[in-house]
Amino acid sequence: MNSNESFFIIDCEGLTKTFETPNGEFEVVADFSLKARSNEFVVLFGPGQCGKTTLLNMMSGLETASTGSVVVNGKAVSGPGPERGVVFQSIALFPWLTVMGNVEYGLKMRGVGKQERRGRAQRYIELVGLQGFEDAFPVKLSGGMKQRVGIARAYCNEPAVLFMDEPFGALDAQTRYLMQEELQRIMSVEKRTTVFVTNNIEEALYLADRIVVLANCPTRIKAEYVIDLPRPRDYVDSRFLALRQEISGMLDRAL
Amino acid sequence: MNTRNSASAVTIFRILAGLFSIGCFIALWHFGTNGTALGKLLPGPSVVLGKFVASFTTKIGKYTILGHAMWSLSRVMVAYTAAAVIGIGLGLAMGWYRTAEAIFRPFYEMIRPIPPIAWIPIAIIWFGLGESAKYFLIFLSAFASITLNSFDGARSVDRVLVGAAKMLGANDRQLFTSIVLPASTPYIFAGLQVALSTSWATVLAAEMVRSSEGVGWVIVSGMEMNNTTQILVGIIAIGLIGFMLATIMREVEAKLLAWNRQGT
Repeated sequence: MNSNESFFIIDCEGLTKTFETPNGEFEVVADFSLKARSNEFVVLFGPGQCGKTTLLNMMSGLETASTGSVVVNGKAVSGPGPERGVVFQSIALFPWLTVMGNVEYGLKMRGVGKQERRGRAQRYIELVGLQGFEDAFPVKLSGGMKQRVGIARAYCNEPAVLFMDEPFGALDAQTRYLMQEELQRIMSVEKRTTVFVTNNIEEALYLADRIVVLANCPTRIKAEYVIDLPRPRDYVDSRFLALRQEISGMLDRAL
Repeated sequence: MNTRNSASAVTIFRILAGLFSIGCFIALWHFGTNGTALGKLLPGPSVVLGKFVASFTTKIGKYTILGHAMWSLSRVMVAYTAAAVIGIGLGLAMGWYRTAEAIFRPFYEMIRPIPPIAWIPIAIIWFGLGESAKYFLIFLSAFASITLNSFDGARSVDRVLVGAAKMLGANDRQLFTSIVLPASTPYIFAGLQVALSTSWATVLAAEMVRSSEGVGWVIVSGMEMNNTTQILVGIIAIGLIGFMLATIMREVEAKLLAWNRQGT
């Protein structure tokens, strides 16, 4: 889309978030800056409960930053909007809509005609491997299937960037591996610029083009690693394990 | 296969147990009223059931029992529908928009705790003895619980779902119709169900106070003529209609809220 080499599809500068509490100000995010190129898969990897979701929400527009700016695809982010897609840790499907209803929701809200949006939604339902479940309500689906719907819903709106907030955090370990492989497969079919938050180092290494290691409380950047291992990656490849060792060690010192 | 067999065995047992308890009740009624002094106060089951069946063809006052039932039901439906439309709208608006809550909530809180029957005298003074007074009373009795439940529903909409909808491009109006309204339906239905039984109770009270037709009238006129059988016929009709209304409501809810149910 933008042939200009210096163009960053995500450009955050000096983001901070401070909450007022009865005991004074509480800084959750301190001076976070991130630039991402088109189609880059950036993983924000860090421990603990503090600030990662807030950070991602500031980038997506769900929360406002105390200071700093976010520019996505050349436009300043000032609130929620369909040019940015979000996949939630709590999945957050609309339980009264079927799989099809959930996936086509964004297109419907934006006035895309029924025939066209059904066609586009169907394509993404198939991309995430849920053909045959179009008319099922979320309550009938397993956790992994629900998050597939969550991914299809975000994809179907064709946003410029995707934000994924520990999307597999609520799944059991086995399903989690499976979903990492699925996301890798989906990305290989249809690559999107993605910022992905996780506290799982294997997941980070399996998916990332670049890992940003975060320090905790307030959340700030500790280190960055460009991961250029060939894909699909092998969890027990020696370079994979070496990086895993190195970044885990990094994390321990950050705590 | 085994589990299905045992499941149907449980169902059969439950039906038999239910029939047994009803049978015991009727037997008790029968033997209690035949050959004791109680029989002078209370007619036996065969007399009452016979009269009930006969009342489908023989008129009590101006109408058959079906005619009276239709009168009562149509009164409920007119006022209940109006209360549902206004109550759901007002409740959701109060729950979702702060301004609407600030304006309407104090007034609503003032009206809410007053039992509908307390309005009967003023309804008669304001609207006379006609249909409007009955509509007014039924409306008030249904309105309160529908509004309250819709309000709770709109209040408890998952904020993450609201965020998700906004991120997918929903504007404020779409947020209300495509998220707040469906997310609140389980609450709204709880309110509609309570309101249906209170409306049914209120129409009977209103008819007993002043009317010349309806199931409530059947009971009162039975009392005035010292006709216990007619009172009991009225009571059976009330019970059956109440049961039917609740069943219809449950079926509609099961259809509309299929998404809200776990399992198959």
